[in-house]
Formats: sequence, C-alpha cells, structure tokens
Amino acid sequence: MKLSDLKKGERGKIVALNLKGALKKRFQEMGILPGEEVLVERVAPLGDPVEIYIKGYHLSLRMEEAEGIEVEVLK
Amino acid sequence: MREIKIAVVGNPNTGKSTLINALAKARLQVGNWPGVTVEKKEATLKVGDYTLAFVDLPGAYSLSPFSLEEKIARDYLFTERPDVILCVVDSTNLERNLYFVIQLMELEIPLVLALNLFDEAQKLGYQIDIPLLERLLGVKAIPTIATRGEGIEELKSAIVEVYLQNKIPNRLSYGEDLEEAIDRVRLQLLTLNPQLEASLLYKGLLIKLLEGDQELISRLNLKFNPEEIKKYLQHIEKVHGEDIESYLTDLRYGLATGVVRQVLHKPEIRKITFTERVDRVLLNRYLGIPIFLLMMWLLFKVAFDVANPYVDFVDETINGPIMKWANVGLEFLEAPEWLNSLLLHGILAGVGIVFSFLPVIGVIMLLITFLESSGYMARAAFLMDRLMRSFGVQGKSFIPMLLGFGCNVPSVYATRVLEQERERKLTIFLVPFMSCGARLPVYVVFVSAFFVEASGTILFSLYVLGIGTAILLGIFLHKLIYRGKSSPFIMELPPYRLPTFRDLRVHTWMKLRHFVIKAGTWILAINVVIWVLLNLPWKPNNPEESYLGKTGALLAPIFKPLGFGDWASTASLLAGSLAKEVVVSTMAQIYASEEERAQEETLNLIEDLKGIVFNFGAKTKEAVYNLISTMGIATLQVEEPEEAKGLIVKLQEHFTPLSALSFMIFVLLYWPCFVYGIAVRAELGSFKLYLQAILIHTLVAWLVSLLFYQVGRILGF
Repeated sequence: MKLSDLKKGERGKIVALNLKGALKKRFQEMGILPGEEVLVERVAPLGDPVEIYIKGYHLSLRMEEAEGIEVEVLK
Repeated sequence: MREIKIAVVGNPNTGKSTLINALAKARLQVGNWPGVTVEKKEATLKVGDYTLAFVDLPGAYSLSPFSLEEKIARDYLFTERPDVILCVVDSTNLERNLYFVIQLMELEIPLVLALNLFDEAQKLGYQIDIPLLERLLGVKAIPTIATRGEGIEELKSAIVEVYLQNKIPNRLSYGEDLEEAIDRVRLQLLTLNPQLEASLLYKGLLIKLLEGDQELISRLNLKFNPEEIKKYLQHIEKVHGEDIESYLTDLRYGLATGVVRQVLHKPEIRKITFTERVDRVLLNRYLGIPIFLLMMWLLFKVAFDVANPYVDFVDETINGPIMKWANVGLEFLEAPEWLNSLLLHGILAGVGIVFSFLPVIGVIMLLITFLESSGYMARAAFLMDRLMRSFGVQGKSFIPMLLGFGCNVPSVYATRVLEQERERKLTIFLVPFMSCGARLPVYVVFVSAFFVEASGTILFSLYVLGIGTAILLGIFLHKLIYRGKSSPFIMELPPYRLPTFRDLRVHTWMKLRHFVIKAGTWILAINVVIWVLLNLPWKPNNPEESYLGKTGALLAPIFKPLGFGDWASTASLLAGSLAKEVVVSTMAQIYASEEERAQEETLNLIEDLKGIVFNFGAKTKEAVYNLISTMGIATLQVEEPEEAKGLIVKLQEHFTPLSALSFMIFVLLYWPCFVYGIAVRAELGSFKLYLQAILIHTLVAWLVSLLFYQVGRILGF
C-alpha cells in the first residue's frame, strides 16, 4: 500500500521508499524512514498536498511523492 | 582581546532568529554574503576578555543542501571553519534536530546546543536529561527560551568555555566498515596532499569525499584519487545493500534516535496541541480557503485603512512645513535660483512623494512578517500549492508574490526558499505584476482626477488585473519556456507561535530597508537627472523645448494608439522605467514648471511644529476610525488632495477618463523598476532575466492598454 492511499486520520508504518536521488535523501533526512510510524493528518482543500505527522512534527508533501512511499496500514 | 568566531546554525522554525535577536539586542549588522545577496546577519558582543563574533547562517535541515539557503550554510561551515558552532535546537522535536547535530559533530569544531523552546517542551511534559545529553555527545547544552531572553547569559559563557577547552565533540562510531573506509580516505589524502595538517581531515570532510559531493570538493582544492574512493564505496554498498547516502542517513538517524531514547522522557499519551486544534479550523476542507481569502482581505484593509492617513500626514508635512522652511533657508543663504529649484522641485518633492508611501509599504511588510513568524504563511503555501502549480510555480512562491504588493525588491530575495531554478526564475519574472506600493501614487493622482466616485472599484480592479496577467502569462510561459515538472513540495508546518516585538521590528525592517535605501539613493538621483533634462538647454521658454520634452515628443507616437501620446506623459513613462514612483513626480515637475506656484505664507516655527503634532493626532484618529467604521476598505474612497490640485487640473486637461485608465494599466504592467533589476542580477548572476522582463512586460503592457483603450472607444466611452 502507498502513503497516498491512506485516508485522513489513518496511520501506517513505512516499509520502503521508492524514490530517487536528492529527493529520496531529503525525505530520509526529514525522518521518513522504514519502520517509522506516520499519521495522515489531512488533505489540503484542493486535494493536494497532504499533511502528515511523523517523528513528532507536521510535514506536508504532494500526492505524487506520497505515491513513492510504501506503507502498511496500522489499526 | 581575543575574537571568537561563532556560526549560529539550526533547523528552520527553531526560533533561531529570535535567539540571535536576543543575543545581539540592537547590534545586529545586516550585510550580504559574497556572491549571492542572501542577507548575512552578524553581531559582536564582548564577554570578559573575549569578543564573540556571531554569524547567523540560514536555517538548514542537513549539510547535504537542498535549497540555496542550505548551500550557504554548508559552504560556510566547511570552508570558513568557525571557532565554535552554536546550534539552536527545538526541544519539542529533539530527534530530527539531533540528526543535524550529529552531522555538525562530524565537523569536529567545539559545539554548543541551545535547547530552545524549552518552555514548550516542558508544557508537553517532556523531561530532558541535559547532563547525559552533554556526556553522550561531548557538547555543552543550555536550555533557552529565546522569546523571554532566558538562558542567553549561560549560552555566552558556555561558548567561551568550549572555546577555551577546545572541546571537540565525541567522535561517534559509524560502524567498522565505514570507519575503515574513512581511515583509508584520510590516509590517501595525507599522502597526496603532504602539506595538509591531519587536524583538517575531519570526519565530515572525509564523508563528503565518500559521498562524492563534487560541488563542495572542487572548492576545497584537495588532491584525491576518485577511482580508489569508488572502490571503498562499492565495498560498503555491497555489504549493506544500500547506496551510501541512504546508509549514512540511516546510521545518523539511528544514532540520534538512540540518544533521544536515553535522554528524553515523554508522556505515553500525546496531547492534542493548540496548533492541531487551530489547524482543524484554518486548514479545514471547507473553511480553509474562505478563511485564507478573508485573511488576505484583512491584510489589505488594515494596510490601506491604517496607513493611508499617515501617507497624507507625511505628504502634508513634507510639502507644507518642510518645503516652506527649506525655501526660507535657501533664501537666507542666498542660494541661486537654479539650486533652489533643483532642491525643492527636483529632490524634495520627488523623494517626498516616494517617502509618503512608506506607511503603506511598512504596514504591509509588518503584517506579512507577522503571518510569517506566527506560522500561518506555511499554511498559506499548503493551501495554495495546488492552484499555483497550474501556472508553473508552487505553494512556496506565494510568500514572495504577496511581499510584492509591498515592494518587488524583497520579493526577489524571498524566492531563495524555492529549490528549483526554473520555479525561482518564473516566480521572479511574475512578481512585478503584483502592484507594489510605488505604483500607488500614480493611481491615487489619476483616480482623484477622474474617478473620485468609483475610486475603490478602480484600485481593486487594477490589483486584480495585475494578478490575472501574472496567472495568464505564468500559464503561457510554463507551457512554452519554463517547462518541466514542479519541484517537490516538502515543507514543515511549524507550530503556531506568537512573534516577539523585537522579531517583528527587526524582520519588518529587513524587508522595508530595500525600499528606503532605494528612495534615498536611486530615486533621488533619478529626480536630479530629470530636473536637469527638464531644464536643459538652460531655461527653456517652454518645458516642451527641454531635452526631456524633445525625447518625449519623439517617442510619443508609440503611445498614440493607447490614448495618451502627448510628450509629457511619454516623458514621465520614460523616467518611470527606472522606478515607477517617478512617474508622478516627473509629471509634477513638468507641470510645475509650466506654472510656478506663488505662495504667500506666514512664518512661525512654533505654529508649524504644533501643526505637525496636531495633524499626526488627527490622522491617528482617522486611522482608528477607518479600521472600525466599515467592513469595506474605507480609504479607497480617495478624497481630492489639496496640494495636488494643480497637477489634477492639468491631468484633466490632457487625459480623458478612458485614456487615464489606459495609462494606469500601462504603468501597472510595464518595465519593472531598476532596483528590481539590480536584485535580479544579484540573485541570478546576470541581467538576462531583467532584460527579458523589460521586453515582455512592456510588450504585455502595451497590448493590454491598446486592447482596453480601443475596445473602450468602440463601446463609446
């Protein structure tokens, strides 16, 4: 499952990052790492970007990049 | 007296600038970084026998830069090697902040951590074992609350202490394989660069070589063998099944997480924070955008309603008492007539018009600074990203665009936050369509001459026209020239915080100073040149015979189809191509020389001073009244200014309402001002984009005005 598939309020655990180069590195540096728990806080009114809660802070990213983040849903 | 060079670093949103403002008090020096015009803030303080020289580096999440600002921070740390690094850490978000701290430790420079926002961490129920943190990392850590100035003194003594002890942070182990590779790179460098001191081969640098950060390596002038380094690299990547960069990030985060686990105790259940509750409303699916629009409307309402009475005040003071006493002074000194005319009509009147709009620009900048430091601007970018992407820019372009309504020059600098060159250029290119404060004098004079009843609607429409043009041109350029995907949008949404007065003052001034400097230098110079051109050959019988008049007449046919092809408006537009503020002051100079104003006024200094104070009080009352009296923007109802009557009468002779509108549209859209050009050159390295903007904007302006005027004529206006 992808991070972009999670709905508002759903939580997931990051499994893998299917991204490349500088972008991948930046995501990792912002704490988006395998094993990390992530909560989808909300989707922007126009449908993009999304706001997530990870490692104790709030981060926004676009759907397009969220598609590159593999997660498993946590109940 | 020894000087200690201290670099102040930290993640964005940690309160770093509040801390540096608290450290520096009023002694903050603002300059520019060499090569790029990113503001470089410095402050020096005396502590005992030492001078602490602070350099404030731009906020960064990592030493592997993603934006221009982060690049500046990295370059400084690697090439300048400060004596001490002061890292501002957000105590409520230790883990991600420590990731950066671990990278800083690799530089092997004495390190002090300011555990800032300590009160917020306490409120969340966090307990931090500071002595353990210090021991594990080999640094000094001081809890601080920058907004209240707490911990500042302790910070200063900690800096001197680590400096005196030359306290190098602990060298954390990065695992056998990596440590071995690092040792090999060190050995190789020592063999190939025998002149190098071993102490200069710190871990951070060796890792950069392994990572292959070409840009940085080439600046350090080191001899090394890339083939061999590649071999070490391949070994590590094979053993761990990851590329070196991912491996390093994992490793550093692992260390940061390990430290946090030992030093931080936080409550099991996470409380819903104030910020989260506020965002439920402000970023609400249905309410988010309406509230955003309301905020923007409020911003302009407050800016115009509160500032406009003060605009009148500045204007009345300059054109009244100051002008009068300057005249008296010049007569007393028996100044020649030409000097009197140059100083009063050339300089004082011209610069006065520009300065009188300082209140509007100042209030806009103040409100934007407030929204920025409170954390709302990040939300605005979040809300607007989707929309702005459709015309080739992105959410983070919103801030420079909004700043543009105050002054376009700081907008250019504010585009630094954009990671991608293409988006940055496009944003810079579109910013001049945001109608800046400097264009207001033109609108105000014309609106007073022709549209007193519909003034609000006309002004509002002009602003909308500017935004609309930017959107259309943005879509067009995005499809044709600045093609490509929008850069990724990764942005932290920081907690809402109430900015301190000191921060507001300092940061508003940073934005405003461009405009003030411009008014005091360029605008002044341009006004002098115009005065000269208008009076040469010496004492023309008729201003039309002056050099300015002749040039205007020569170019006037270009503007005939737009409805205002007379020499005077052409000459004003020519002058205004350097800075739009000058359009009105040029017209004023031209018409003033057609008809010298004769005034008989009484001279009484005390009365005049009393008058100024009384007037200021009256304007303040008006500002308050404007703000509360109506939901609409009260001061857009322009009243006819007394002192501009001469000019207004002249305008009514030379323009029709339709051609006046066409002229205002042209002024709105054409030729971005010269100081904007200087900023573009400073940021992008050449005048190329400015020249493109001059051509395209002027062409767009001409076409839009033409269309407007001709259609208007056909419709019978």
